[in-house]
Amino acid sequence: MLIKTENLWKTYNMGGEELHALRGVTFCIDKGEYVAIMGPSGSGKSTLMNLIGCLDTPSKGTYQLNGRQVASMNDDELAFIRNKEIGFVFQTFNLLPRATALHNVELPLIYNGTTAETRIDLAKRALEMVDLADRMMHRPNQLSGGQRQRVAIARALVNNPSLILADEPTGNLDTKTGVEIMGVFDRLHEAGNTIIIVTHEHDVAQYANRIVHIRDGQIEREESGRKRAA
Amino acid sequence: MRQFIESVKIALAALWANKLRTTLTLIGMIIGVATIIAIVSLITGMNQYVAAEIDQLGATTFIVDKEGIITSEETWWERMKRKKLTVEDMNEVAAGCQGCEYVGGREMTMRKVKAGNRYVNDVFIMGSTANYPQIVNFEIEQGHYPTEADNEHRRPVAFIGYDIIDELFPGMSHIGKTITISGQEYSVIGNGKRRGSTLGNSHDNYVIIPLSTFEKQFGQRRSLDIFVKARSFEGIASAQDEVRMTMRARHKLKYADADDFEIFTAGDIMSMWENFSRGAFIVMIGISSISLIVGGIVIMNIMLVSVTERTREIGIRKAIGARKASVMWQFLSEALTLSVLGGAVGILGGIAVGQGLSALSGIPMGIEIWSIVAGILVSGGIGTVFGVYPAMKAARLDPIEALRYE
Repeated sequence: MLIKTENLWKTYNMGGEELHALRGVTFCIDKGEYVAIMGPSGSGKSTLMNLIGCLDTPSKGTYQLNGRQVASMNDDELAFIRNKEIGFVFQTFNLLPRATALHNVELPLIYNGTTAETRIDLAKRALEMVDLADRMMHRPNQLSGGQRQRVAIARALVNNPSLILADEPTGNLDTKTGVEIMGVFDRLHEAGNTIIIVTHEHDVAQYANRIVHIRDGQIEREESGRKRAA
Repeated sequence: MRQFIESVKIALAALWANKLRTTLTLIGMIIGVATIIAIVSLITGMNQYVAAEIDQLGATTFIVDKEGIITSEETWWERMKRKKLTVEDMNEVAAGCQGCEYVGGREMTMRKVKAGNRYVNDVFIMGSTANYPQIVNFEIEQGHYPTEADNEHRRPVAFIGYDIIDELFPGMSHIGKTITISGQEYSVIGNGKRRGSTLGNSHDNYVIIPLSTFEKQFGQRRSLDIFVKARSFEGIASAQDEVRMTMRARHKLKYADADDFEIFTAGDIMSMWENFSRGAFIVMIGISSISLIVGGIVIMNIMLVSVTERTREIGIRKAIGARKASVMWQFLSEALTLSVLGGAVGILGGIAVGQGLSALSGIPMGIEIWSIVAGILVSGGIGTVFGVYPAMKAARLDPIEALRYE
């Protein structure tokens, strides 16, 4: 069991009024699973993603990630967990604009004290895995959208995390490039990585084994991905 | 350490990306540090110069005169009323001092010096005893200094400085020539070595004549400066005591009366100069501190802008595992790099300014290692102090908010 949440609540205080973004979410994800979290905007899927990604802590409930209780951790402990366990892929890529692809991929390793030599070695290998070996010294503005997202995926992979968490990874890409990127996720899944994709697009969600639908802060229903079921 | 080098690299890259902004940001810091370095260099140079100049007077020499070293208007008025010192005083001092090797005297005025149709204005005319060169380490180049006999016979002979040679006898021999001072003709018998100038004041602008000749032509109303060379460095104090006793007796001072003359050594002049330069130093440090503080505030401001501009970058770094301390350190080292860079440019600027001023004014300059180290430390310290708040702001950003920032 990689992820186990029990009765997760997240409540925001908006000008004295309590707003429940999550109302008791309980679910489990096993190692090696490929899960899509779907829901319309305002459903609480972003909040759930932030909790799963250890960017935030729940107001109530427990969250166990890879055997560790995360719910009560402080900021620095969360940072450590994010660095070690989670690889993020964002809709807007979120690369450092002035840094080369290689340096962007190296970044997570800087924060866990990997030596420079090993760092460059690992970063190169991660870039090779996303077929960008020939673009290592390019800056983000010298790369296409698809290439940027592949750099971001390489960055997510470089630390060998137990979970890759992608938030609308194809949202800023054209359809063809989106398919390409989803192909990359497929390959990563086949190689044994656990992947969670947060999306509001059905087509994208269909790549997963399992689709979790969120509505009004609760799990509405679960289904199997069409592509896998077929 | 690895992280530090990493941070400095990131910082330099960020600063390089904003060259104009970096430059503008650093102006305050540069001016502040440059001022300090320039001033320290010049004061150091002056100290060395004064020390060398005073050294010429000799460690065993002391001066007895009416005014002493005057540090305030009141003392000046008070000392002006004192009895003048005379040649008789000098002779008595010489007779009553076992510990004195030489006792000489000197009087001075300023006059125009002519030769033919050439002339020099405002020349120091000095009447001195024949032993004056031995007392103050005065170096003779050609001819000879006015002798005991010249003094005794009040001969109109003159020993001149290089300014007089350059102006009155350019490219000609000057020994044996005649110069005129206030209508009296003098025959040139020698000249001193060229000594150059400081602060635009030439040290070669003098004519020396026998003391008795001086008093005959310019009158006896001036007070004599008595120059004494003690037999040994250890013997200065006792020589001074002997001189003091003689002078007090001649002035008929009672036991409780204070001296109505002054005795001082080269060391006294030196320590007075040091007091003065310390004061100047403190004032200047105060002034440049203001510019350093302004420089620090500008750095803080630009770091706050930088934190805002790079909110998203901070979000990314936090998302992939940067702890608070890492983010804090990143921005702190950027502020530190920025300010130390400013400090370094300021040091170079200060040395350049110091050298420029030195070349223009003739004040010598001496670069002190400690002032360079202090420049780096001060600028680094300011960068740290003013960088802490922006860095803390960056470190405290919420990663979710920061990632969402447009």
